[in-house]
Amino acid sequence: MVTMNSEADKTQATNATLAMSSAEKQPAAESTSPLPKSPPATAAAGVAVTTECSVPAAASLPPVPVPAAAPAAATTQTSVPTPAPEALANGNSNANIEEVVVAVASTAAGATVNGGAAGVVTSVAAATPPPSAKTVNVRDTTTSAGVSGSSASKSSGLLTVSSNHHHHHHHQQSSSSSSSSQQQQQAAPSTVVVQSSSQHQRSNKNEDAPNILVYKKMEAIIEKMQAESTGVAVRTVKAFMSKVPSVFTGADLVAWILKNFDVEDVTEALHFAHLLSSHGYIFPIDDHALTVKNDGTFYRFQTPYFWPSNCWEPENTDYAVYLCKRTMQNKTRLELADYEAENLAKLQKMFSRKWEFIFMQAESQSKVAKKRDKLERKVLDSQERAFWDVHRPMPGCVNTTEIDIKKAYRRGGSSHGTGSSGASVAKNPVEQLSRIIALRKQKLERRTIKVSKAAEALVAYYDQYNEFDYFITSPELPNPWQTDSTEMWDTEKNSKEVPVRRVKRWAFSLRELLNDAIGRDQFTKFLEKEYSGENLKFWESVQEMKALPQSEIKEAIHKIWQEFLAPDAPCPVNVDSKSVELAREAVNSPNGPNRWCFDVAASHVYHLMKSDSYSRYLRSDMYKDYLNCSRKKIKSIPNLFGVKR
Amino acid sequence: MPKIDPETQALYDEINGMIQKFKDDQKAKADCTLADKCGDMSDVTKIRFNSKKILKGHINKVNSVHFAGDSRHCVTGSLDGKLIIWDTWTANKVQIIPLRSAWVMTVAFSPSGNFVACGGMDNACTVYDVNNRDASGVAKMVRELVGYEGFLSSCRFLDDGHLITGSGDMKICHWDLEKGVKTMDFNGHAGDIAGLSLSPDMQTYITGSVDKTAKLWDVREEGHKQMFFGHEMDVSSVCYHPNGMGFASCSEDQTARLYDLRSDQQIGQYEPPQKNTGFTSCALSTSGRYLMCGGIEGMVHSWDTMKQRHTGTLSGHENRITCISLCPNGMCLASTSWDQQVRLWL
Repeated sequence: MVTMNSEADKTQATNATLAMSSAEKQPAAESTSPLPKSPPATAAAGVAVTTECSVPAAASLPPVPVPAAAPAAATTQTSVPTPAPEALANGNSNANIEEVVVAVASTAAGATVNGGAAGVVTSVAAATPPPSAKTVNVRDTTTSAGVSGSSASKSSGLLTVSSNHHHHHHHQQSSSSSSSSQQQQQAAPSTVVVQSSSQHQRSNKNEDAPNILVYKKMEAIIEKMQAESTGVAVRTVKAFMSKVPSVFTGADLVAWILKNFDVEDVTEALHFAHLLSSHGYIFPIDDHALTVKNDGTFYRFQTPYFWPSNCWEPENTDYAVYLCKRTMQNKTRLELADYEAENLAKLQKMFSRKWEFIFMQAESQSKVAKKRDKLERKVLDSQERAFWDVHRPMPGCVNTTEIDIKKAYRRGGSSHGTGSSGASVAKNPVEQLSRIIALRKQKLERRTIKVSKAAEALVAYYDQYNEFDYFITSPELPNPWQTDSTEMWDTEKNSKEVPVRRVKRWAFSLRELLNDAIGRDQFTKFLEKEYSGENLKFWESVQEMKALPQSEIKEAIHKIWQEFLAPDAPCPVNVDSKSVELAREAVNSPNGPNRWCFDVAASHVYHLMKSDSYSRYLRSDMYKDYLNCSRKKIKSIPNLFGVKR
Repeated sequence: MPKIDPETQALYDEINGMIQKFKDDQKAKADCTLADKCGDMSDVTKIRFNSKKILKGHINKVNSVHFAGDSRHCVTGSLDGKLIIWDTWTANKVQIIPLRSAWVMTVAFSPSGNFVACGGMDNACTVYDVNNRDASGVAKMVRELVGYEGFLSSCRFLDDGHLITGSGDMKICHWDLEKGVKTMDFNGHAGDIAGLSLSPDMQTYITGSVDKTAKLWDVREEGHKQMFFGHEMDVSSVCYHPNGMGFASCSEDQTARLYDLRSDQQIGQYEPPQKNTGFTSCALSTSGRYLMCGGIEGMVHSWDTMKQRHTGTLSGHENRITCISLCPNGMCLASTSWDQQVRLWL
C-alpha cells in the first residue's frame, strides 16, 4: 500500500518531469530519469508497503520484508525527523489520503493472521511520529514479525529495501522543503541530485544482489548504445496523424551490435539483443513479449530508473494499481491484454478489501498522467509497461527478475557470515584436508564395476519392470484417475483378486514379495507349512523394532533376543555363531543396544530365506496355483475401458 | 590471501593427485557408454501424460509436493502459509493445515500416510498428525524440531517415527519423532543441502547440494559413502533409481544426470532441446526408463534415460516449477509451481 509519502512524491515527480519536459523536449532515453508515476509508489511506498506485504496472502515476495519493516522504519524516521507534518503541508488531498491509508492498513491488518499487527504499528508510526514512540513501535514490530531464530540473517537482505525507503524520504524531504505548490524549476534539479546520490547509495547496498554483476555489464553496454554520436540512432518517427517518439528499429540495433561487438553473425547479435531485452533494458514499443527482431519493429530504451539493478521487488498491490489505471485511460494502446485482464480479475479478488483504495490510487495517478505532454506520455507509458513486462511477464516468457527465495536467503546469510558460505572455512585447513584425503582413500579402495555392467543392469531392470511402468504399459486395472473407478485401490486391500502382473512381480525378488502385503501373507503361509516360519518372523520383528521409538527399543531388543537368539530361545533361528556373537555383543554393549544391533543376523536370515525358502516357494504348487488362479480371474474381467493390454 | 604453508600445500597436492587417479580410474571403467549398450533397445514413445487435473486452492507460490504411500493422497505447501492434503482422485482438499510460518520450502508425507512434515525459512521442521485434530479442528502439531541455523530444504520420513532432514546450514539431521530428539546431526556438504532421496529399501539415501555434488549416505552412519561430481552448478534435486543402484539428479546448469553407485560415476546426461532452462526437481518412472525434470521456465521435460533422448515436455504451468513428485505406483505425476497451481499429470 502506498502512503501519503508517495503521494507527495508523485505530485513532486510530476512537477519535476513537467519542468524537465518543458526544458528539453528529449524524453526518457537519455534524461536522468524523470521519475515516472507508479514506481515511486513502489519504492516510496515507505514503511506501510513493507508491512502490508507481510500479509501472507497478498505477497509474492522474498522472505525479507517481515523484519524489514523495523529497520526501514527506524532509518526513515530518524534520518527524516518530521516527514509527515511537512507532507501534510503539501495539501489537503494528501491529508485525506493519509487517513485512508491508515484506515485501510488497519482493516487489512485486522483481517490477516501474521504480520498484520506489525502493519498497523508501523503505518501509524509513519503517519504520526512522536519521536519517543518510534523506538517502541519498532521493537514491537520486530518481535511480532520475528520468525524464530532467523531474523538476524534475514534482516541483512533488507538493506536493499530500506535503502529505497531512505532515498525516497530524502527525496520527499527535499521536495517538500521546496514548498510544495510552486517553483517547479527548483524542484526539478533537486530531484535529480537526490536521485543520483541515492542511486549510488542503492547500488552500494545491492552489491551482493545475485545478478548484479550481469546487470552492471549489461548497463555498461546500454550506456554505450545510448552514447550520443556513437550509439544507436534514436529518432522520432512520423507516422500517419501521429508521431512515435524516441525509437530505433531492431535492424538498426542488430547492425550496431555487429559493428561494435565481436559477434560472429546476425543470430548471435540477435540473441545478445534478446538477452538485453528480456531484462527490460530495451523493449518493443507495442508488444508484451520482450524480445528483439531483426526488422523494422520499433524499440525504445528503458529509463535507468526502472533498470533491474535497482532491485525492484514490486508488490502485487502496485501491479493492481497499474492495471487498474490502464483501464481508466481510454486509449487503445493502453488496452489490457487478455492475460492482464485475467491478472486484474485475480488481484481484484485477492485485494477485495482494499480495492477501493487501489482504485483511488489508480485514479489519481491517471489524473496526473493526463496532464502530461502527449509524446512524453507515450514514452512513459511504454516504459512503465515494459517494467511490468519484466516483473509480471506475459505467460510463456521467462521471468528474469523473480529470485528463488532460497537464493535470496543465502545472499542474506552470506553477508552475516552465517549460512552456507561463511562457515567451515575457518577451521584448521590441515585437519580438514587430511579428512578429505582419508575419504578419498576410501573412494580409491572401493571396487567399482565397469560402466558396461552398470548399463546392463539398468537394461535388465527395465526389461523386468517395463510391464509395471505406467509410462510404458497400461495398467491391468483401470487407471482410477482416468476412469473414475477405485478398483485399483480396492483390490489393494482384499486378497481375492490379485492381478496376475502383481503376482508375477513376487518372483522378481524376495524384496518384491515381502513389500506386497498379500505376497508376504502367502509366503508366511508357505513357511508355516514348511515349519520354517521363525526365520521370517525374526526378520519381521527386527524390521518392526527398528521403526519403534527410542524409548521402546531396549525392551523390544530384549524380547527379540529372548525369543529367537538366546540359548534357550523358544523359537530359535538358524544363524551362524559369528552373527549371534556379534548380536550378543551389541545387545550387551555398555552404551546400551541400538536399533541396528540385529542387522547382521537379520541380513543372514534374509539371505537364507532368499536362497532357500524363497526359491522353493516360487517352485511350489502354492505359488503356481495362485498365479494361475489370478490369471483366470483376469481373463474373466471384461475390458471395460478399452485399455490396451 | 595468506601464504600456504608447505604442509598444507603437500596435502593439496596429494588431493589433486588422488583426483587425477579417480579420473583415470573412472575412465578405465567407462568401457562403453550407456547409449552404446542400449542401441538395440526399442525406442520409447513421447511421454503420453496430459494435465488431467488442476488442484486449486493455494493463493501464493506453491513450493513443494509429496505423495503418501497410498498413491492417492498428496500434500502441498505454499507461501500462503498453508499445507493442503489432497485426495488426488477427487481433487478435493482433505485437510488444510495453517502454518505458524508461511515460509514453507519442503513437505513430506510419511509412507503410512499418518504424518506430514514441513519446514522452510522458519528454520524448523514441524510434524503434524493427520489423524488427530486439535481443539480448533486442524491436524495436531506433534513435533516442532528446532535448532537449525539455516532454512529447511528437504525432509523425508523413514517411517512414522523417524525423519531425515537436510537444510541450508549444510547439515543433515536424523530425528526420533516419538521423543522429539535429534539422534544424529552432521555437516553433510560444503553448501546448502537442496534435495534428499531415500533408497527403495530405506537403508541409504542420496543428498544433492549447492556445492555441486551429490552424496550417498547410510541411514545408520554419519560419514558419506560416496560422492558424485559432474554438475556445474547447484544440484537442486536428486531421485533414487527404483533399482537402488543409481540415482538421477538435476541442476541449475540446465542438465540432468544419471549416476551409477557401483561404477561410481556419471553414466548419463540429459539436456533440454533448447538450452533455455535450469531444473528444480526430478523424478524417475517405475522402470527407470523415463526421467522427468521440472524447469524454471514452467515445463516438465522428459527423457528416455537409456537412449538419452528428449521425449517431450508437459506444458501448462505459467511460471517456474518448484517441485514434482511421482506417486509410488508410478501412475500420476504432481507438479507445483510459482503460478499457484498444483497440476496432476497422467
